[in-house]
Amino acid sequence: MDDWGHAPDLEDVAGEVAIVGIGETAYTKASGRTAREIGAEAAERAIADAGLEPRDIDGLTWSGAFADFDAAAFHEHFGTSHDLWTSPWGGGMAWAGTAPHLAALAIREGRARHVLNVFPVAWATQRASMTGGPGEVHAAQAAKQNLEVPFGWFPQPVYFATIMRRHMIEFGTTPEQFGAVAVAARRHANLNPDAVMHGRPMTIDDYLASPVLADPLRLLDSCLISDGGAAYVTTGIDRARDLPRPPAVVAGVGEGYSGTGTNWAQQRAFTSTPQVFSAPRAFSMAGIAPADVDVLTVYDPFTVVSLMQIEDMGFCPKGEAGAFVEGATLHHDGGVLPFNTHGGLLSHAYVLGIAHVVECVKQIRGTAAAQVPGCEVAVYGGYTGHMASTLVLVKDR
Amino acid sequence: MAIRRADFPLPDLDEPLTAPFFAAAARRELRIPRCDRCAAFVWYPQPACPRCGDVPGWVTVSGRGALFSWAVVRRAFLPAFEAMVPFVSGLVAIDEDPSVRVVSYVVDAEPGSLYAGMPVVADFRPLAFPTVPGREVVVPVFRPLDAPTGAGGGPR
Ligand SMILES: [Zn+2]
Repeated sequence: MDDWGHAPDLEDVAGEVAIVGIGETAYTKASGRTAREIGAEAAERAIADAGLEPRDIDGLTWSGAFADFDAAAFHEHFGTSHDLWTSPWGGGMAWAGTAPHLAALAIREGRARHVLNVFPVAWATQRASMTGGPGEVHAAQAAKQNLEVPFGWFPQPVYFATIMRRHMIEFGTTPEQFGAVAVAARRHANLNPDAVMHGRPMTIDDYLASPVLADPLRLLDSCLISDGGAAYVTTGIDRARDLPRPPAVVAGVGEGYSGTGTNWAQQRAFTSTPQVFSAPRAFSMAGIAPADVDVLTVYDPFTVVSLMQIEDMGFCPKGEAGAFVEGATLHHDGGVLPFNTHGGLLSHAYVLGIAHVVECVKQIRGTAAAQVPGCEVAVYGGYTGHMASTLVLVKDR
Repeated sequence: MAIRRADFPLPDLDEPLTAPFFAAAARRELRIPRCDRCAAFVWYPQPACPRCGDVPGWVTVSGRGALFSWAVVRRAFLPAFEAMVPFVSGLVAIDEDPSVRVVSYVVDAEPGSLYAGMPVVADFRPLAFPTVPGREVVVPVFRPLDAPTGAGGGPR
């Protein structure tokens, strides 16, 4: 029964807009920088990559939940004061996948011509002072604060250890299969000099020997904590063809929501993500099937989240991702489903999905560090607990 | 956004949404909110039934359930839990409605002996953290249905 969540109807924007500029900062451990500084640098580089000037940017999408790089920050950094169409429903996480849809509608309605989406994070720096991080937001919710935290069911590693165990119970998934996801991510990070874990090879034995944080979840099932940020510029398809970079055309966008929000403990489909609702919508808008996808990047805070999304997006039947990911399946060179080819949240950097979208653009351009030969269709699967998103990017015809 | 309550991570007994849960536990009862009109549990607690909008009441349930899934927590993610690790935190589907999953400690069982669907029953034990001296709150925990009642003590 797929009634535990839903997908809103998004307007069809297939082929209307393209991503024409990408910018990234260094991805690091604690840098001592503020997220606002990081955001400004990413924005600057994305605008330059698009062949534009800051004053050409007339739309800005950012993350209202983080509020690190809003219109005021843009104008302060670039010394500009022109009108900006803005939306706080952009940035990273699931919204890194839906920001191009917001941009498409703004461009269609004439509110903006070149829309910048920015997402920076400085959690590695902030962790020392415990002023931020993935657990804090959750602990503030009444049900979690009183019915989960006092019982040791907190924070994310414990939630996902419990989901992981249930996946093992229902489908027979093994530690080696979870490990295959982590090893593939590290393999790609070792091909990518920008990845935080570049130069740190990892084998399945390393994975199995890594400390157990919350059995069955190991340290190496888990994402990094990082500083860094990225940005991208979206514009109309005709304008995109006038700009220097090959356009990464937005072919499909989907969104899905869990009826139980971030109360994972109560989600009826305990071993599923709202990709069940999101991915079919995006693939339908793009007119593609899962078999057409040349590279997949998914928001991967823990290995089980990757397995669940691979299943929920239709790359293999539900429950079979464990067997599916073994061997070379996820490899960029010859795998059936080249996956998180930049290294993902596990081994590239924990910048909450924005670098996943940038990687998709690079794959379409043919400039990725671990380039998938002949890549024409790149998909991002965003996941923010209560929400999933799906973004299909294709090479221009 | 940060939690400023001095007794965190003990439950906040002044939170109206969840206070009846802990008041019941102090009487050694497991109580869950249920909408009388829909005869459906409303879990987690909400001010109004999501189906009909009625204000849910609280009903006492048997305390019996089946272990749905669990984690054996070995790393303390908050200082309060440092003396407690390793411990088992899990989800128990209650017999009255398995879609209601109560989160709590699984006690009086070796982690290796746990299995999905294992019958468990609520017990009631004082929860205290070294980081919150002088305070304890009685909470429901779960033990194997076929295990003898523990000798008391904390949720270990
Ligand atoms: Zn009702």
